[in-house]
Amino acid sequence: MIKLQNLSKSYGSKTVLQNINLQFERGHVYGIVGKNGAGKTTLFRCIAGLEDYSGNIQSDKDRLKDHLGLLLTEPYFFPKITGAEYIRLLCNARDVKVDNLDQRNVFDLPLGQYAATYSTGMKKKLALTALLLQQNEYFILDEPFNGVDIQSNIVIVEIIRKLRELGKTVIISSHIFSTLSETCDEIHLLREGEIVRSVHEQEFASLEQEMKVDFVGGLVERILGSGQ
Amino acid sequence: MTNRWFKDAGIHPLIGYVLAMAAFVGISAYLFYKTPYAVYVYPLLALSLAGKLSELKRNDFLSQCFPKRKLNQLRITENVLAVLPFVFFLCYKQYFLFACVLPLFASLLAFARFRTTANITIPTPFAKKPFEFIVGFRNSFYLFLLTYAVSLIACFVGNFNLGLFALMISFGVCLFFYVKPEHEYFVWSYKLDGRQFLLRKIATALLHVSVIVLPIVLLLGCFFYHDIGMLLLFLAIGYAFLIYMIVAKYAAYPSEMSLMQTILLAVCIAMPLFLIVLIPYFFCVPQNI
Repeated sequence: MIKLQNLSKSYGSKTVLQNINLQFERGHVYGIVGKNGAGKTTLFRCIAGLEDYSGNIQSDKDRLKDHLGLLLTEPYFFPKITGAEYIRLLCNARDVKVDNLDQRNVFDLPLGQYAATYSTGMKKKLALTALLLQQNEYFILDEPFNGVDIQSNIVIVEIIRKLRELGKTVIISSHIFSTLSETCDEIHLLREGEIVRSVHEQEFASLEQEMKVDFVGGLVERILGSGQ
Repeated sequence: MTNRWFKDAGIHPLIGYVLAMAAFVGISAYLFYKTPYAVYVYPLLALSLAGKLSELKRNDFLSQCFPKRKLNQLRITENVLAVLPFVFFLCYKQYFLFACVLPLFASLLAFARFRTTANITIPTPFAKKPFEFIVGFRNSFYLFLLTYAVSLIACFVGNFNLGLFALMISFGVCLFFYVKPEHEYFVWSYKLDGRQFLLRKIATALLHVSVIVLPIVLLLGCFFYHDIGMLLLFLAIGYAFLIYMIVAKYAAYPSEMSLMQTILLAVCIAMPLFLIVLIPYFFCVPQNI
């Protein structure tokens, strides 16, 4: 369980997160949605302990970060490190031994090549593979479907479902609503640093509709004209 | 960008430019003092510097931003500016022919496009424990080959000091593996507290540097066994410098090592005993890791 109480974060006078109160239970998948700049990544970084914040973050582990797999929006790779070495680096960091790497390479990545030369989607899949092999209890996946091909997309959805079955806590952000509605138990809408709405599975369709109205509004007409 | 780099290093840009200029003149003068072939090596150095600007991706980007004519003008200007300090120094040394030809070659080089890095995975003996020595070895393995060759020569000509020089160069190259702070994610990922993290980094570094210097130590140990005490002393100094680099790096983390730390490192090169104080000091300062 991860519990956020009155979590706030500011950069100087700019408030990025304001009084966030959320609870993430074991065996559940949570979605965080919002426009670019709504505060999703900052929220994830606060939970991971990569940012200072005010408020409180509690978990059922002593040091949350030691059990947390964090998938960054744009995973960083050293210039001359291969895919296999990257996985080994992250697993070594958590004192996890990795055997049969070839067999566990479910995304069929060229692990002998330098990871920095991978495409965006391959980088995402490599980073995700490393997190899964770390045997974490909690997962924060920031845009896990970004740049990923259709097959891998399906595999990732199934992996997330399996993580739920295994009793792990998964928090995802995605700009593709369908992937969230397929995997999440609960979705939170973040707007300008505040959670403005939290919905369960049966209300996902209404949330999507609401977001369409809210986000799109008359924007299409503004850029393309009214069609006359 | 250079201004920002100086500011990040804690140096006022004006002072930075003066220091860079002084270093350039100093190194150039040293090169010409050291070898009669400097006049041939020097233009090649200048062209290799200008050649970095011909990197494929960079030029692809520029060609998207500028029309062809403007791009060519820009690239020629860049290359000529890059070799200009070399031209001035060649003029000062009265090698006027080379000074005239160099900008011409630099201008021609402006039309070339090539990858400055090959996409071949270089095998490394350090793959099991990432990452500093993996990346460092792949970037500078040829320097280690060079130091092995120098130590071999030292044995053949019976020059122990030359062997020690090769040993210290090997250590020096390894020190550079720890100059840049890594992305915060790779520190955050560790399931260790600050002290345990540092100890693990130090243990890995000592193990890996031992693998690198082992051929040199064995060679020198066999050929100059009567100087084994001196060899061990230099080995210990090398290890101490490596430990200093690690503790100083993480004392400054996530920033780069401060100017003061760099000055202290320079002081330690003159007085290695100073390391006995500095290593525990930087090990104990509160670290942001």
